Amino acid sequence: MSAAPVLLEMRSITKTFPGVKALADVNLVVREGEIHAICGENGAGKSTLMKVLSGVYPYGDYSGEIRYRGEEARFGDIRASEQAGIVIIHQELALIPGMSITENIFLGNEPRTGLAIDWKTAQRRALELMKLVGLREDPDALVKDIGVGKQQLIEIAKAFAKDVKLLILDEPTAALNESDSQQLLDLLREFKTQGITSIIISHKLNEIEAIADSITILRDGRTIETLDVKADGVNEDRIVRGMVGRDMESRFPDHTPNVGEVFFEVRDWTVRHPIATDRLVCKHANFSVRRGEVVGFAGLMGAGRTELAMSLFGRSYGTWLSGQVFKDGREIKLRTVSEAIEHGLAYVSEDRKAIGLNLLDDIKTSIVAAKPAKIARHGVIDEVAEHRVAEDYRQELRIKTPSVDEGISKLSGGNQQKVVLAKWMFSDPDLLILDEPTRGIDVGAKFEIYGIINRLAEQGKGVVVISSELPELIGLCDRIYTVFEGTITGEVARADADPERLMKQMTTTKKMPV
Amino acid sequence: MSKFLTKAVAVGAAAVLALGAASCGNNREGEGQTGDAPAKGFAADSLIGVALPSKTSENWVLAGDLFTNGLKEAGFKSDVQYAGASTTVADQQGQISSMVTKGAKVIVIGATDAAQLSTQVKQAKEAGAVVIAYDRLITNTGDLDYYIAFDNFKVGQLQGQALLDGMKAKKATGPWTVELFSGSPDDNNSAVFFNGAMDVLKPLIDKGEVVVGSGQKEIKQTAIQGWKAEGAQQRMDSLLTSTYTGSKTLDGVLSPNDTLARAILTSIKGAGKPTPIVTGQDSEVESVKSIMAGQQYSTINKDTRKLVAETINMVKTLQTGGTPQVNDTETYNNGTKVIPSFLLPPVIVTKANAAEAYANDPKLSPLTK
Amino acid sequence: MSGLQDLKKNLFGGTTSVGRQFGMIFTLVAIILLFEVLTDGLTLTSGNLIAVVSQYSYILILAIGMLMVIVAGHIDLSVGSVAAFVGIVVAKAIQNFDLPWPLGIALGLVVGALIGAWQGFWVAYVGVPAFIVTLAGMLLFRGGNQFIGNADTVPVPEGFRTIGAGYLPEVGPATGYNNLTLLLGLIACLAVAWREWRSRKTRQEMGAEPAPLWISGLRLAVMVGVIIFATLRFAGGRVGTSLPVSGIILIGLVLIYSFYTRNTVSGRRIYAVGGNARAAELSGVKLQRVNFFVMTNMGILAALAGMIFVARSAASGPQDGLSWELDAIAAVFIGGAAVSGGLGTVSGSIVGGLVMALLNNGLQLMGVGVDLVQMIKGLVLLFAVALDVYNKSQGRFSIIDSITRPFRRDEPPAAVPPVESPRQTDKTPAAG
Repeated sequence: MSAAPVLLEMRSITKTFPGVKALADVNLVVREGEIHAICGENGAGKSTLMKVLSGVYPYGDYSGEIRYRGEEARFGDIRASEQAGIVIIHQELALIPGMSITENIFLGNEPRTGLAIDWKTAQRRALELMKLVGLREDPDALVKDIGVGKQQLIEIAKAFAKDVKLLILDEPTAALNESDSQQLLDLLREFKTQGITSIIISHKLNEIEAIADSITILRDGRTIETLDVKADGVNEDRIVRGMVGRDMESRFPDHTPNVGEVFFEVRDWTVRHPIATDRLVCKHANFSVRRGEVVGFAGLMGAGRTELAMSLFGRSYGTWLSGQVFKDGREIKLRTVSEAIEHGLAYVSEDRKAIGLNLLDDIKTSIVAAKPAKIARHGVIDEVAEHRVAEDYRQELRIKTPSVDEGISKLSGGNQQKVVLAKWMFSDPDLLILDEPTRGIDVGAKFEIYGIINRLAEQGKGVVVISSELPELIGLCDRIYTVFEGTITGEVARADADPERLMKQMTTTKKMPV
Repeated sequence: MSKFLTKAVAVGAAAVLALGAASCGNNREGEGQTGDAPAKGFAADSLIGVALPSKTSENWVLAGDLFTNGLKEAGFKSDVQYAGASTTVADQQGQISSMVTKGAKVIVIGATDAAQLSTQVKQAKEAGAVVIAYDRLITNTGDLDYYIAFDNFKVGQLQGQALLDGMKAKKATGPWTVELFSGSPDDNNSAVFFNGAMDVLKPLIDKGEVVVGSGQKEIKQTAIQGWKAEGAQQRMDSLLTSTYTGSKTLDGVLSPNDTLARAILTSIKGAGKPTPIVTGQDSEVESVKSIMAGQQYSTINKDTRKLVAETINMVKTLQTGGTPQVNDTETYNNGTKVIPSFLLPPVIVTKANAAEAYANDPKLSPLTK
Repeated sequence: MSGLQDLKKNLFGGTTSVGRQFGMIFTLVAIILLFEVLTDGLTLTSGNLIAVVSQYSYILILAIGMLMVIVAGHIDLSVGSVAAFVGIVVAKAIQNFDLPWPLGIALGLVVGALIGAWQGFWVAYVGVPAFIVTLAGMLLFRGGNQFIGNADTVPVPEGFRTIGAGYLPEVGPATGYNNLTLLLGLIACLAVAWREWRSRKTRQEMGAEPAPLWISGLRLAVMVGVIIFATLRFAGGRVGTSLPVSGIILIGLVLIYSFYTRNTVSGRRIYAVGGNARAAELSGVKLQRVNFFVMTNMGILAALAGMIFVARSAASGPQDGLSWELDAIAAVFIGGAAVSGGLGTVSGSIVGGLVMALLNNGLQLMGVGVDLVQMIKGLVLLFAVALDVYNKSQGRFSIIDSITRPFRRDEPPAAVPPVESPRQTDKTPAAG
């Protein structure tokens, strides 16, 4: 592999923001036709490096040299880098939901006859490109009507419409389920056979191990090392060591479960889809949680896990049809979010930026947001108490911030997630439902959040963890329910849990004996 | 903490003393000197404030220019202000307050809403300024000193008479079918114009010689809010559709001013009807052209030059400490008291006498040749 | 840390709220001083200050309500029409039914609340965007004003005029000043001193180090100085004048609403809803209730503003309230609120409104015509917000932001100095 000629070389790239050196002397060598992974914790400088490469930070804004196809490249903006065949696909998809697939593929790049857009050619080429990326859809279908996985493919098709030489994917599978992720990775392998070079940024180390030819590891804005996957015999632990600068003895903190009796029980929970009235998103779900227990919910994306959790949490999703909730043996009604909070429920959503936090708030306000009455007298907030509470959580959860008066938006993903956890811990819950609590969070912060979950369980609270990462569930949970198409298909104790067994239950409608 | 308080109090006290000293020059004026101020006269280069409505008609723009130049020639400092197009009342209130602050000795007000300026007139009066209502009588206040305007009741009478004369010339005998329009309901003059015209028309309407086609004879039915051309055009459009669809002909339209008259004519032309007799007022350029072209029948010449000149004469008299000349001390009661008024006579203009009427007007006179 | 740095940090745009309030007021002071020079000292005369307060108090009252509406993520285009409608209803009721004027005011507030509730119902419970609901309201209530008033101007009685054109009575010994205004000034000075002392105590309780003592003293001296200056000016006008009654109403409302939006649970919910409605809902905030409340509240304040204008004009007319909504909205945005909601402060909006008011007044005193004044105001609005947007995008100090944040989140103690470590890179746009 190393025999292939060098396509891209970035030499001692340094990029400074006011007060912070984001990149210091970073080197990157990418050879033609390879899949090159860039790994690093959040804030290591991966995205900044890609922004330098794609011209988001134009030439002159950084120091160092970019050599591309043997010549020095000085990109003034994204258009310039795109013309050179470098296309970046960002984590947040840049698609317009109300437009068709064809329109999106050719947005800003429309084939024309004179002044008019040549829709016939566009349509024909769109079909070719869609075939290339393995997308079978009506090219006139609106983007909003198709799934996230397919939207990712449209982004790639869009890149090919621009005659791509070097494809950069920033966290391409973060929002995809297992099978869509697999399909995408296969596609990258196929491109490789066609001689297209890819750079992939991902937190999912198993994927990187499976697909990458070489790996460059960044830490604190510096290049740590570049590994040749085959030659160096790289595995996940090796990558983690490079990223965090030490061996992680275990990816899960030690925890001795101390499980009590059942205190929370859901019976026959059935919920209808909010728009498609003939669809049930939860079908007669029954489950229970014991005191001090961490219960996992495994399932593919769209299986109905989030829907189940949100509908329990004050009917925040869909239309409730039937079902009862019992806490400590008594039936409780959870018709509104406030009632749910009153009864000791807490729900940490999977999308903290969209629905979990008010990004305009500062840390202390966010922490008390779910139960402000606790630090208020006659409706007037006691600022001293508020500050004290926030300061306590900052220390307890090790939220990295100079002060609890800082804005939430200034925190990294992991620290934001800790603030969300603090917010719900402050609401004095008996049962915490955590929906994808470690999504988009780096390895170090994940470990800390696992620790917090264990501590909550040790305090005798029930914790429900919804996750798409099976190793996480197996490492963390005392018991795991599997969900498929709105039905709870099985229940596995920690001792019996292995990925194959879970995956089987997650993809079958047959109800396993409980 | 005591140290903190001591220090704070000390600095605070120092500030009080410093500012107190600074403010001492600002002696409170009493109320006593206000009433007799006009008798004493004032300096010959004093500030004279002129607050006019928004620039919606040529007349106000012309008046503003005339005031600026005339007051300057007379040796006064002037501050001539127009209200904004959409924020008329509030603007004018602010402008008058500012004129008072600046120490204007006489404030001439062409009111936007004649009933909403009493606070400012009072403020001006208390500060020792003389307030003259120009063209529009300010109501609800006992603090207004003078009123100067053209005789607006007479204007209405002339309009009514012109309408009859015009229709008679076209069709010797009645009954004649007419429609009536009146001005903005918040303008005190609107009713005066309308009543003047009705003074002439009412007897004939009662006799049946003049018929109001739509039956809308009340001022509320005929009013055009804000003197807006589009308002008049809309009303005429709907009158034509509702009343004059068949063979019924419209002989004349009483329009209170030129802007509305032209809007009414536009509407009638748009409907493809024959041009009726339409009255007007203000001698606007476009209307004079229209009269010469045989479209609009009449307008009123209220020579703004004369009105402004008379107003400036009043200011000059006040400056010397004299009492300005008035010719009506009975008619104009603004709801609180009768305001001493000086009224100028208006002149009716048709195609026949246009050349003569505008002989002295540099802008209009060429149009009549 | 040298004394100068201390001063800079704590007094001018530093970390303490009171310090940054000064930063905001600087803009205003600059405008005042500019016009004080340009108008040969007319701007700060007693008569002019009194006139400015009574001329703009109703716009500022609208700005308070508008701030809350905009923070919640809505807009209200109907305030001018609602004000005009309430004005004519009250004037007519007093005229036709011989209603005593205090009852007239009560009636106006009730009508305002009903109108607000009507609009709140459509916004909160039916889900029609506030832009549409209030655009409809703008037409509806403007028409209602003309319908009820027959497009006529209806006078109001002398007593009613107090709230718009009234002054404090002259009582007590002849001090050469209006004694009640002096008393108010004294109370204000004491309140400011008490507040400074409280804020030091609060910071100590939070375990943060309060600003150096001499800074507290200086800050207090400046504030007390300004209050004394203003007091003497307002108390030293023509005999029979004082701080206008409408100004006292305004100050009362500013104090109440500042406290409400900043220090109460329900006030904070407005920010939560505007910042992220879904997140607020999932934190137990009842969206509909909050939206209904801000719209109803706006109706009440619009009614009050309308009545104050009617009182000042001595009559309700068909042109009342024209384009007030634009002035109120401009004040709120100059005061640092975000178009998308969730950001903004009552005090910021008031200062924004005062910037516009003094600009207007100064230009009027200079004899600049309304046409030019409008153009200048338009440009000021554009540049004020553009400068802020630009500064934010450059990651630089944002004047409006730095000015307004502390109003909302009072007393942020600078407990721990920011630690610059490479791990903090994710505080920059460079998150990897």
